[in-house]
Amino acid sequence: MDFIANLALGFSLAASPENLLLCMVGVMVGTMVGVLPGIGPVASIAILLPVTFGLPPVGALIMLAGIYYGAQYGGSTTSILVNIPGEASSVVTTLDGFQMAQQGRAGPALAIAAIGSFIAGTAGTLLVALLGEPLTNVALMFGAPEFFSLMLVGLILAIVLASGSVLKAIAMIFVGLLLSTIGADLQTGVPRLSFGLMELSEGVSFVVIAMGMFGIAEVLRNIQSPEQRGIVRGKVSNLMPTREDLRQSAGAIGRGTVIGSILGVLPGGGAVMSSFAAYTFEKRISRDPSRFGKGAIEGVAAPESANNAAAQTAFIPLLTLGIPGNAVMALFLGAMTMQGIVPGPQVMMIQPGLVWAVIVSMWIGNVMLVILNLPLIGIWVSMLRVPYRLLFPAILIFCCIGAYAVNNSSLDTILMGLFGLIGYWLIRHDFEPAPLILALVLGPLLEENLRRAVIISNGDPTIFLTRPLSAVLLVVAVLLLAVSILPSIRKRRQQVFAE
Amino acid sequence: MTTDIVTKRIIRSPKDAYGGLALMLLAAVAWWGSLDLAGSQGTQFGPGTAPRLFAGLLFATGFAVMIMGLCKDGEKIERYGIRGPLLIGASVVLFAAAVGSFGLPVTAFFTILVASAASHETRWIEAIVWAAFLSIGCTLLFVFALGLSLPLWPDF
Repeated sequence: MDFIANLALGFSLAASPENLLLCMVGVMVGTMVGVLPGIGPVASIAILLPVTFGLPPVGALIMLAGIYYGAQYGGSTTSILVNIPGEASSVVTTLDGFQMAQQGRAGPALAIAAIGSFIAGTAGTLLVALLGEPLTNVALMFGAPEFFSLMLVGLILAIVLASGSVLKAIAMIFVGLLLSTIGADLQTGVPRLSFGLMELSEGVSFVVIAMGMFGIAEVLRNIQSPEQRGIVRGKVSNLMPTREDLRQSAGAIGRGTVIGSILGVLPGGGAVMSSFAAYTFEKRISRDPSRFGKGAIEGVAAPESANNAAAQTAFIPLLTLGIPGNAVMALFLGAMTMQGIVPGPQVMMIQPGLVWAVIVSMWIGNVMLVILNLPLIGIWVSMLRVPYRLLFPAILIFCCIGAYAVNNSSLDTILMGLFGLIGYWLIRHDFEPAPLILALVLGPLLEENLRRAVIISNGDPTIFLTRPLSAVLLVVAVLLLAVSILPSIRKRRQQVFAE
Repeated sequence: MTTDIVTKRIIRSPKDAYGGLALMLLAAVAWWGSLDLAGSQGTQFGPGTAPRLFAGLLFATGFAVMIMGLCKDGEKIERYGIRGPLLIGASVVLFAAAVGSFGLPVTAFFTILVASAASHETRWIEAIVWAAFLSIGCTLLFVFALGLSLPLWPDF
């Protein structure tokens, strides 16, 4: 009963004209930016964060969620039409999607991607709603040691699932944690690592770092290399999939949804992993695997359903435990903090309206994607033609204004540019920025819980092992780390990412 | 030529070797910057405990990355473009320095022009029209539609 009452509460808030409008604007802008070459979901959210500064918390989160799905969906559009994946989670969609487009079947491919995403999104939203409350109740039993151990698991998963070297991912985690300590100390209020600068004594806003690392750094990387431009052949006509298409993809959508939902909940998992897993799974169980890569519709249906389901269920750890599982969720957590919401299990108790409105708006956003995107495909195709020489000054000015607007401070803009250069340097040296952002956002929580745990135990470090829940989590963390360093797994891991 | 061969033998993966070294440097700066902070007292963490803990761990990992770079073959660092980072950096500094006294639309216009110079694909007439359009668009969006309190007009 609670479940229905909660959803009803969410609907009553999310369906207000203002929030519906914000959801729609978010979905539209997200798709538009997601279609643009070189801007994935993480960069889209980072660049568009300042747009939500002036909004009330519920509206801001609804709009950001809309931007996120829109960007996801926009990425698949470019995968199918021009063979350029807008973001990592739709890389596999290019394999069969672009083949379909070349056979003149771009319309059905886009339609199946939209239908699959919608079904998966609906299932994912229901799962978030179902698991939200029980998980929150579990989380409320957590003390400081458990939270510390849980965050350790999250960080280690981010390392395991990073695409490059494990060691370098670990290094990025420590850089993120170190950056998170800049600013006033939680207990004494002493400014730390501020190097005498007044402005730094408040800490560096995560928005500033995220915009630099994902916005400016990407600009620097992209203007360096000559533009890769796909050409859309012919017009996209005849969107309707045939009965045969629907029959073939029904199972794939179902399986993709299940795989995506499960992998999405895991911290560090999310959309990228699940789309790869779903595609591989379809290929393996197919009676005729040779069809894959040559325009098999299951090869579009499964990964697109999986990445959308994962995009939804990735919210579960964030909304119930206050722990982001990946870089996108880290940005959400940062946005929540900026809106004055203290993330954690207590949010669902103190502000149930906020949480449920966001959950319901996820579903509304998915409905809007299906209704709006297919008719508007012509606009998205024309967005593909925007050259990068016009795009990057726009990204740059958005980042400058956004960083300045956080505190009306010029130093923030300078720092944003500095982190852009640092981010560019990191990309050039094959260090990934995603684990850094995750650690940056988790840092203060990690430190606070570690300090509290040490106080509770009177300085006895075995507290993390003597409390059963915490011990289980730590064992999981150690196992994960061990597994990722084992040579055989490492080889498999490289294969998965190379494919 | 000889130096090339020698460096190749000692530093087998420059990306990792220099990457690790830079991280060690960063860790050292952070350690130095947190020296004046109190450490842990008894069972309580002090303000300096966490920064020094993370800096120490970063130093160790950076060292490991550097050693990896010396032992395992890896890619060479591609040439850095000077123009991109320099002009993008300059445009950001220009924005930060000017927005307070010249207001958003004017500052944005010139910032976009400086940034446009970073790409050799830029066509100038197009860039000027685009800069004018973007600066007006951003002003309308951020100041009027979203109500952010950015300075609007030049401050005479």
